[in-house]
Amino acid sequence: MDLKNTIIRLAEAAGASGSEDDAAELALIMLREYCPDAAVSGGNVIGSFGAHREGRPKLVLDAHIDQVGFAVTAITDEGFIKVGNIGGLDRRLLPAQPVVIHGKNDIKGVICSVPPHLTSGSAPVPEISDIAIDTGMSKNELEQTVSLGDSITFDAACRDLLGSRITGGALDDRCGVACLLYTLELLKGQETAYNVTVIFSVQEEVGERGAKTGAFTIDPDIALAVDVSFAYAVGEDESKCGYLGGGPMIGVSPSLSREISDSLMAAAEAADIPYQTEVMCGLTSTNADRYAVSRGGAKACTVSIPLRNMHTPVEVIDLTDVELTAKLLAEFIKEG
Amino acid sequence: MKELLKELCLIDGISGDEGAVRDYIISRVKDYCQYSVDDLGNLICFRKGRKSPKKKLMICAHMDEVGFMVTYIRSDGTLRFDCVGGIDPSVIIGRRVRVGKDRISGVIGSTAVHNLSREQREKAPSVDSLYIDIGAASKEEAEKHVFLGDCVYYDSEFTDLGEHCVKSKAIDDRAGCAIMIKLMQEKPDYDTYFVFNVQEEIGLRGSAVSSFSVAPDFAIVLEATTAADIDGVKGEKRVCELGRGPVVSFMDRRTIYDKELYRLAFDLATCQTKTMIAGGNDAGAIHISGKGVRTISVSVPCRYLHSPSSVIDMSDLISSFKLVKNLSKRIPLL
Repeated sequence: MDLKNTIIRLAEAAGASGSEDDAAELALIMLREYCPDAAVSGGNVIGSFGAHREGRPKLVLDAHIDQVGFAVTAITDEGFIKVGNIGGLDRRLLPAQPVVIHGKNDIKGVICSVPPHLTSGSAPVPEISDIAIDTGMSKNELEQTVSLGDSITFDAACRDLLGSRITGGALDDRCGVACLLYTLELLKGQETAYNVTVIFSVQEEVGERGAKTGAFTIDPDIALAVDVSFAYAVGEDESKCGYLGGGPMIGVSPSLSREISDSLMAAAEAADIPYQTEVMCGLTSTNADRYAVSRGGAKACTVSIPLRNMHTPVEVIDLTDVELTAKLLAEFIKEG
Repeated sequence: MKELLKELCLIDGISGDEGAVRDYIISRVKDYCQYSVDDLGNLICFRKGRKSPKKKLMICAHMDEVGFMVTYIRSDGTLRFDCVGGIDPSVIIGRRVRVGKDRISGVIGSTAVHNLSREQREKAPSVDSLYIDIGAASKEEAEKHVFLGDCVYYDSEFTDLGEHCVKSKAIDDRAGCAIMIKLMQEKPDYDTYFVFNVQEEIGLRGSAVSSFSVAPDFAIVLEATTAADIDGVKGEKRVCELGRGPVVSFMDRRTIYDKELYRLAFDLATCQTKTMIAGGNDAGAIHISGKGVRTISVSVPCRYLHSPSSVIDMSDLISSFKLVKNLSKRIPLL
């Protein structure tokens, strides 16, 4: 499989939390190549990899399929679309940002920006309730296509940066989805130590809700949440970040299984895969939080891909990290 | 007209770097006029009309758009930059840009919202705190691709919005350039100078020079001007509105316009005026050039001016074109 192309196709598909259909359908088609039984269950895309045998522990590989965005809350008489946020958004970068409204058809729009002559100096950061979207259409025209509750995402195409880095929207967490597909590619034809199930879960950005039902459905013994985490960039606290190109960030936290963290690190060292340790002193704000306490509990851990500018239309990753993360996961999963 | 505008907007040309825009315009107008390029890069075209009036008419627009220049390469491979022209930081964070002659892709990033304090979330960052990330892992890697002084352009698509609006970068002032190219393709009633200026966005520099050289009696300045007819803005604060025709101002921050020309525009067409005294354009330099030039400006109302996503209504571009055409038939007789 072409990893970069897979990431870009997934990242350019739409799927705000609760409206993941486009991205989920694409991910489902991609997953079927490795998991013929893959299907949508309660919104989540779930597939089992290889033959599941009695007596082996159940391992879930999870990546979330949703992304941050907005929901249409009203259409004004003048034809502006009012919105609510889906997930955590940086309101400072919203003015004049291009978006796509996913109505019966996709409609392009631009978030209104108040010009400087009305703000005397630096413009205040808008509240979400101040945000309106300009589509160049009247209320009447819009109502033919757009309904309240329709989702909106940033209109963000992917671009190559220097070296092996790329930028795009929704790399959080479509690069994780692609990473799991690549892991399966690496494991194809190999014996695994676990009965492996892949879950592309919905609604992570609004509180890991898809993972809660996914965890209940599969009831794993071990769960690895493959998400993105903060890569160091100007303005970030270096001590709280990984580095782009530094390899997978293995989570260590009271809420995670130290046994799994240690095994992941051991697997990385044995296979000479560079990795970074990400210490979190409580919850991880990833799906791992859900898997750990589902039903009778599971050993959960995070394996994160470093990413800059999280939740913006210009997220940045290094493809090397995705590749290394998949290699680590494959090493961990294959029969020892 | 839309195709022409699209082609013009997609050409990159920040202030001081208008060459590609000028080359394109020359390719479109060279068969209709005599032209010259002056020392600053202004394109001055003389279009012969059916008659040669005693008074000289100049119609002009500016070729440059706002953008950035690379001022420093940091040890981590990211680029410091400064704005060329007036740009609000809130419309550049979280955007893609293209850097230098090879147009390598970059992004203007910002600290993840998760890691901002409550206070930081409520305040747009200053340009000084922003940087361009081109994916370089070190200064050495960046230096292979980027030079200090490289121009940086918005990476923004030209798209239709609804039936009659379009969204693009550089509408200010390629809209004016488009009107002029269209006008030049028809033989005018009177001899006319068509001038495509440089460096408007950094302080009306090109027009100061070209208006001296041409020394017109009358000038029509074509522009795109701020429309604030957005949700939550009411009454006079809207300044002007999309879909209501050309904007003809009586006064802005740089110019008090010729009253007879102002009234003539309203006699000739359905126009709107600006309901706040704001902004400024090349008229500021032109109307006090030489012994003075009687000047009018005709602007296309534009939302989100100077952002990568400026929006205009194509009907305003068409009606502005018609108004300027009619003005050019009447003004030389005044």
